[in-house]
Amino acid sequence: MIKIKAKNVDVFYGKKQALYNIGLDIEENQVTALIGPSGCGKSTFLRCLNRMNDVIDICSVKGEILINDFNINDKSCDVVRLREKIGMVFQKPNPFPKTVYENISYGPTIHGMAQSKQEMDEIVETSLKKAALWEEVKDRLHEPGTGLSGGQQQRLCIARAISVRPEVILMDEPCSALDPIATAQIEELIDELKKEHTIIIVTHSMAQAARVSQNTGFFHLGHLIEHGSTDKIFKNPDNTKTQDYITGRFG
Amino acid sequence: MNLILFTFIVLLGFTSYYFGRKKAYTIQSSNKRLTALPQFYGYYLAIWCAIPAFIIFSLWAIFEPTIVKLLVLSDYSNQGYLDDELNLIYEKTKSLSRGQFTGEITPFIEASAEKYLSLRSIAQSSKAVIVLSIIIASVAYAYKRISSNSRTREPVEKFLNAVLFTASLAAILTTVGIVFSLIFQTIDFFKVIPLFDFVFGTHWYPAKAFVRDSSEALDPSMYSDTFGAVPIFAGTFFIAFIAMCVAIPIGLMSGIYLAEYASSKVRQYAKPLIEILAGIPTVVYGFFAALTVGPFLKELGTSMGLEVSAESALAAGGVMGIMIIPFISSLSDDVITSVPQSLRDGSYAMGATKSETIKRVIFPAALPGIVGSILLGVSRAIGETMIVVMASGLAANLTLNPLESTSTITAQIVVILIGDQAFGDPKTQAAFALGMSLFLVTLCLNIVALRVVKKYREKYE
Repeated sequence: MIKIKAKNVDVFYGKKQALYNIGLDIEENQVTALIGPSGCGKSTFLRCLNRMNDVIDICSVKGEILINDFNINDKSCDVVRLREKIGMVFQKPNPFPKTVYENISYGPTIHGMAQSKQEMDEIVETSLKKAALWEEVKDRLHEPGTGLSGGQQQRLCIARAISVRPEVILMDEPCSALDPIATAQIEELIDELKKEHTIIIVTHSMAQAARVSQNTGFFHLGHLIEHGSTDKIFKNPDNTKTQDYITGRFG
Repeated sequence: MNLILFTFIVLLGFTSYYFGRKKAYTIQSSNKRLTALPQFYGYYLAIWCAIPAFIIFSLWAIFEPTIVKLLVLSDYSNQGYLDDELNLIYEKTKSLSRGQFTGEITPFIEASAEKYLSLRSIAQSSKAVIVLSIIIASVAYAYKRISSNSRTREPVEKFLNAVLFTASLAAILTTVGIVFSLIFQTIDFFKVIPLFDFVFGTHWYPAKAFVRDSSEALDPSMYSDTFGAVPIFAGTFFIAFIAMCVAIPIGLMSGIYLAEYASSKVRQYAKPLIEILAGIPTVVYGFFAALTVGPFLKELGTSMGLEVSAESALAAGGVMGIMIIPFISSLSDDVITSVPQSLRDGSYAMGATKSETIKRVIFPAALPGIVGSILLGVSRAIGETMIVVMASGLAANLTLNPLESTSTITAQIVVILIGDQAFGDPKTQAAFALGMSLFLVTLCLNIVALRVVKKYREKYE
C-alpha cells in the first residue's frame, strides 16, 4: 500500500536547484531509507514531505507530493494539520527547554487532543513508553528535558513526535549525534514504530540503512539515482553509481 | 617641552619595536631557534623602552609643582606668615614669572619669581636627563635579554594582563570613589534631617531652605516638613511606571516582529530606524514632551472636559517610554534571534503556528534576556532627568493622577544644584542624599535583575 507518492518534485534555493524531478513512492508501515553523499538533497526531500521548507524564505518547491492521495503542495493544504500527521525527528536532539512532561504534552496541547489532565497524563505515558523512555524518566517527568543524556533526549524527541499519533515519521539522521549504544536503542525503536507509523529516515550510515529499512532511495547531486527494496539496492543495484557508493568507492 | 619629551618617548618606543624585531631576525638567521615570534621581541623592547620612562615622567609631573612650591616658599618659612598668605604669595610669584602680574611688585616677590623660574628650568632639564638615562638603562637591559634569546613572550603577555587589569581597576575605583563622596555628604545631611523625616515625610519643599540667611545658626527644627522624600519617590516610580507601560508592550512587540515576522529586507531597514530613536539626545525628547505632547494632551483633555496640566506626568512618562522603546526592542530582538533555530523547527514540525511557537517555546527560552532588557529600561526610566525637568514640572506633588504635574528624584537634584550652592548646607546635601537613594534603588533593581536572569538560566540550560 503506497502512503506517499512524490511526482516531478523540483526544489530551488533561490536560483540554485537542489532537487531535480524526484519521483518516489513510499510504502505504508515500512521503513524507507534515503542515502547519498552530503549535499545530495536527501534532507531537502525529507523536509518537503512536511513542508518544513516553508520556513526557509528562499526555498521553493514545485511538483506534486501526494499523501493519502492528497497533494500537500496544493494551496488548500492546511500545514498545521499536515504536520500533525507527519512527525519529524531532527539530526541533533532538540528538546524544548521545558520539563520532560511539557515536551511531550506540547503537541497534544496545541492540537487540543486532551480534554483533561488525566487524558494528557495518559498520552505522555504511552508516548514515552512507545519511545522506550518511560522507565528511565518516569520519576523525573518534571525535570528539564535538556538535562537528559543525548540518547535519552533523542528518544524524548521521538516520543514528542509520536505524541500526536502521526501517520508518518520523518527522521533526519536521528543517530548522527549519538553513541553506538544509543544508536542501537533508536534502531530497535524504529523497528517497533513501523507497526503503527510509516517511517522515512535519512542516514549517512550504510549499515544503518541496511539494518532498519525495507526500501532505500539513493540520491546523488539532487537526482534520485535509484530506489527499490533495500535488499536489491544493497545486493544487486542497477546503477553503477549506487554500486560505487554502497561499496564505499565515493561519498 | 613636556610635549616634545612625550613625543620623543613614543617615537623611541616605536623605533625599539622595529629594532627588537630586527634583532630577532638576526638571531633567526644565525640558525638559532627563537623562543617566541619575532614581534614579541619587538614588543618586549618597546615596553622596556617606554614604560619605565613614562612612569618617571608622570611621577615627575605629579611631584614637581609641590617640590618647587616648597623650595620657593622656604624663604618665607620663618617669617610668621599664615598658610593662606603663603599661597597668595606663591600665586603672585607664578603670575609675575609669566609676566601677567599687575599689582605692586615688591623685591621679595621679584626674587621669588626669579627663583621660581630657575627652579623650573633646572627641573625641566633634569627631568629630560633622568628620563633619557632611564630609557638608555632599561633598553640596554632589555636588549641584553633579547640578545641572549631569553623568553620574551611571557613578559609581554604578563604586561598585557597588567594593562587590562589596571583598566578594570580604574572603573571599579571610580565607582567606589563616587559612592564614598555620596556617603559622607549623605551622613552629614542625616545629622540635620532625621532619616525618618526623609523616608516617610510627605512634604518636599526644598525652596524653604533657600531662604535661610547663611549667617543664621543652623536650626534643624526649621526643616521639619521640608525634606520629606515620599512625593518625589512616588513621582519617580509613577513616571517610570507610565514610561514602562508605553515601552514594554511596544518595545517587545516590535522586537518580536523584527526577530520572527519581518522579512530580512524589512529588518535591514527597520532595525536601524528604530535604533535612531536611541540616538536622539534626551533634551530633544524633553522639548518634544514639553512643547508638543504636553500642550496636545492639555487640549485633548480640555475637549473631553478633563482638567489637564500643561506639564503632566503623562506627557513626561509617555515620551520617556518612547525613548526607551529602542532599548527593549533592540535587545529583545537580539535575544529572540539567538534562540536556536532547532527549537523553532522542532515546534513547527509539531504543527505549531508561528504565534504558538513564539508564545510557548521562543518567549520562555528568551525570557532571561527579555527580563534583563526590561530592567535595563526601568533603570533608564528612573535615572532619566531632562524629560522630567522640561515636561513634568518641578513641584513635588504627591499624586497618582497622571494628568497633574509631579517631580522625580533626578529632577529635584537638578533643582537643588542649579545656581549658587552653599556646601555644608542641608539643601545641597539633600541632593547627595537623593543621589544616594537613587543609587541604592538602581542597585537593588540590578541585583533583582541578575537573580531573575540567573534563576531562569539555570532552568533553561
